[in-house]
Amino acid sequence: MPASPTPAALPSAPLWRRARLVVTLVGVGWLVLAGRLVQLQYLDRDALSERAEQQRVFAEEIAPRPGDLLDRQGRLLATSVQTRSLYLVPHQIPNPQAVAEKLAEALGLSADDLSERLATQGDRHFLWVKRRLTDEEVDKIRALELRAGTWGFRDEYQREYPQDALAAQVLGLRDIDGVGRGGIEEGADGELRGKTGKRLLTRDARGRVLEVLSDADQPPLPGRSIRLTLDIVVQLFAERELDQVIANWKPESCCCVVMNPQNGDILAMASRPSFDPNHPEAADLDAWKNRTIADIYEPGSTFKPMVVAYGLDQGVLKTDDVFHCERGEYRMGNRVLHDHHPYGSLSLTDVLVKSSNIGMAKVGERMQNAKLFEAATLFGFGRKTGIELPGELTGILRPLAKWTSYSTGSVPMGHEIAATPLQLITAHAALAHQGKLVSPRLILREDADATRLQGLTQETVSESTARWVIEHPMAEVVSRGTGKRARLPGYRVFGKTGTAQCLSPEGGYVSGKYVSSFLCGGPVEDPQVLVLVVVNQASVGSEAFGGKVAAPAAANILRQSLVYLRISPDADLMRHAADWESDVELQ
Amino acid sequence: MFFRFAAAIALVVAVALTGTAIESRSLGLRRAISYQRYQLDVLTEQQARLRVEAQRAGAPAQLVEPLEQGRLQLLPPESPQRKSQRTTPLMNWE
Repeated sequence: MPASPTPAALPSAPLWRRARLVVTLVGVGWLVLAGRLVQLQYLDRDALSERAEQQRVFAEEIAPRPGDLLDRQGRLLATSVQTRSLYLVPHQIPNPQAVAEKLAEALGLSADDLSERLATQGDRHFLWVKRRLTDEEVDKIRALELRAGTWGFRDEYQREYPQDALAAQVLGLRDIDGVGRGGIEEGADGELRGKTGKRLLTRDARGRVLEVLSDADQPPLPGRSIRLTLDIVVQLFAERELDQVIANWKPESCCCVVMNPQNGDILAMASRPSFDPNHPEAADLDAWKNRTIADIYEPGSTFKPMVVAYGLDQGVLKTDDVFHCERGEYRMGNRVLHDHHPYGSLSLTDVLVKSSNIGMAKVGERMQNAKLFEAATLFGFGRKTGIELPGELTGILRPLAKWTSYSTGSVPMGHEIAATPLQLITAHAALAHQGKLVSPRLILREDADATRLQGLTQETVSESTARWVIEHPMAEVVSRGTGKRARLPGYRVFGKTGTAQCLSPEGGYVSGKYVSSFLCGGPVEDPQVLVLVVVNQASVGSEAFGGKVAAPAAANILRQSLVYLRISPDADLMRHAADWESDVELQ
Repeated sequence: MFFRFAAAIALVVAVALTGTAIESRSLGLRRAISYQRYQLDVLTEQQARLRVEAQRAGAPAQLVEPLEQGRLQLLPPESPQRKSQRTTPLMNWE
């Protein structure tokens, strides 16, 4: 049996205590570590996992392809193609000056500007250099062989307009960030833009992509393509005639609307000055305006048919009424009204055919302000038409309470109210459409319910009244009145001329400046096309009558549109065309 | 005992190898799908560009004036539905 150790061989008490202390401390340390492990792996697990996920997984946005714009025949008006845009990662670039010089030379930029941007934003992770590069520029950048991780391309969409400058104000633009600006691009931006997609990527601590998590893809939803009511061929006819008006009369501006009065479809809508949406940087400031909805003017004589139609419908006027036109000078209250020619007695038809202001003033005296106001309101003046374009004006129709005895003579002549060209042609379309006011539209909807809702009509006057106004006074305006220049061989055409003084921004009128307008449509028996041309401040010659300045252009547009739309001419009318052609030449 | 052990090891290795093969095949198919999507994007883009070119070439602004001036010939179709010669009276009434 081994002997028990002697008291001298056992560790001393102090040593034993130290050993126990060390063991205790180590044990406590392990417990702390274990507790920390439990805290990290169990208690804080969700929060830490989420943080790790955020650092590791990166969501990259995928831009959607915007929808196309098409005309009613399916011709492409606007589409998008992919382009590359160059960006730099400034904080990764060791030698910004050298990089700036190389890029500036390749892209035709200022080296000093680029260098300054890199210097001032050196801590950033992303800096655009140039957006929407051409293919040649992309190749030049690749050829530079810049250091990986310091640069990259990002795909973006660029809008292309294959029809060049046609219908520029109607279409509008998509800006560099893909947002619609003006026209249908803005009006229907929600449908055209689409929905951005997302792609999840995993990346390392240096930001390099390791893997694409394709299971978590959210593909981009491309924008919806939209078909417009425009016919680009009719649009071309309209724009060519406006160019001719500019060349012949040198006005401040002019515009034109072509409409199908049966359903409110806008076949063409043009303004001058204009611009090419493929090169917006070259556009003048005043070229952006769509004057058919954003310019207002006193309609003048073009307002008269609506007044007469309403008066007939209300029983205040009769078709065989006769008005004495005071030989061209008529005192009405404190003012003296004049006609361009001294007329004696004129029938109601001739009041419109000759466009007698005195005759219309007497019509106004019969109808009185309340009925004149009703007529204006019923035909849509003083409120927007609701066309799918931004920036439409309401025009000016003062409340009835503010009308005076002066208004009784002025309003029937088309003064004291202001309208956009679109409002005016829409009002005339009501007369051409059996008295039913139809909302003009630019977007063709395939959905039957949407089409039905869009074409909501409002009764203005009875069908018989509307037909009488079209077939008699307005047709005779063209056959023997102020609109003779609008006669077309083979077609019975109706129309109305308008010559109004320009409104001054300070109030009143600008002396010697006129807005010349002409509205025409055909065929009389079943109107299919309506054209309005408005010329603002023609500066050639001393006369600015609508029948002289605007009528030839409107007639040309109407003729070409009728032929293009295959609306057959009348054979009998064709045979008699030679009889009055020489008459027009003598005019 | 040895055989049981060896069989167990072999089974585990076989399952692992099968899993690796399936994983590899899955990755290969994913790569193929990604490549197809990329090809689709490239072709869609090409189609958009060609469409723009075609629409530009056939734009009415390019064709209407030559047509009106008689510089473009209207060619009849090779197999017309109607035997009688087509005429365009509405374009010629002037």
